[in-house]
Amino acid sequence: MTKLLYQNAISAMTLAAALGAALTMTATPAAAAEGDNEKCYGVALKGKNDCKSGPGTSCAGSSKIDFQSDAWKSLPKGTCEKTASPTSPTGFGQLQEFKAQKS
Amino acid sequence: MRIDVSRPHGGHISLQAGMNNYEVDFTSALLDTEQPCPANLSAWNGSDPVKRFAVYRNNVVSSLIDALEDTFPVTRELVGDEFFRAMARIFITRVPPKSPVLAEYGDEFPEFIANFSPVQSVPYLADVARLEMFYLTAYHAADATPLDEASFRGALSNADALPSARLQLHPSASVLRSTYAAGSLWAAHQGTIDLATVDPYLAEEILIIRPFWEVLVVPLRPGAGRFIELLANGASFGETALAVSVAFPDFDLTTTLADIIRTGAVVAFNFNEAL
Repeated sequence: MTKLLYQNAISAMTLAAALGAALTMTATPAAAAEGDNEKCYGVALKGKNDCKSGPGTSCAGSSKIDFQSDAWKSLPKGTCEKTASPTSPTGFGQLQEFKAQKS
Repeated sequence: MRIDVSRPHGGHISLQAGMNNYEVDFTSALLDTEQPCPANLSAWNGSDPVKRFAVYRNNVVSSLIDALEDTFPVTRELVGDEFFRAMARIFITRVPPKSPVLAEYGDEFPEFIANFSPVQSVPYLADVARLEMFYLTAYHAADATPLDEASFRGALSNADALPSARLQLHPSASVLRSTYAAGSLWAAHQGTIDLATVDPYLAEEILIIRPFWEVLVVPLRPGAGRFIELLANGASFGETALAVSVAFPDFDLTTTLADIIRTGAVVAFNFNEAL
């Protein structure tokens, strides 16, 4: 570290204050965090399913029909079983793959 | 090692070293309709090998164009399907895949676009393609758990060591520093903002990251791109904050930290590494 840099160095206090303020700004209700999503089967429209794979593979966006019962979409926790799915026996999305009923 | 083979018609094809002459001929004919069908081919049912080879060649090229379409959907929308496919076809003959993994194909496509004279009237196209390649890279990057609030609070309690601490960034994170509004153009094509409000010629810096399941494309504040790059290069928290504050008068440390914490870009606070 050069002398000039040392003289102009940002103090530990400044860094701590900025970090503390940033943490206050980012404190969000837990439900909004993306980590609280769940896989929801039977609600994705054709080609709009999520996947951990990606383009050029045969997974994301690969579902062939609307509301395909073995294709999932990542949805906020608690919303899946309230999302309409015409192929589902319960009428709503499910947390597991299911056997589609004929609509 | 890769070698470049010049062809009489002017195209350059990169081929893997270690191929014999027959494989070189077969591979280059596969990507170039002006070359004849390789010699000594025969079909199992006695049909014309020239026709069979033409079908195979068409399938190879179509599948590669389709892969580029999947990876660069916004780039395609910006120039239209017909133009995109024609451009992709030329790219494929110049830079054929080096790996059998189609999901990795196209990392040289943005640079190709930047030097492709027919799209000089769409100067931001290459940066949008770069963003889409970063998106794909983030998609396939290793998983890592973003640092939680309690761990940040822990780091805060060690305030004296903060200037020399090193922040470890998420393995999926990349920064695009564009001289165009690449992030806004991309967002407009996702339907999240109105294209009419986008000035393509406004420079933007964008963070592309996949903290959990979904890739995030996040516009950055002034200096934040440099801030992330310095941290990624191993500079300490204190050095980074100082260097960016000096270089960018508009830089705000607090909001920038809030942004990178919110996006999950920090996975660890490493102390004790500086002397």
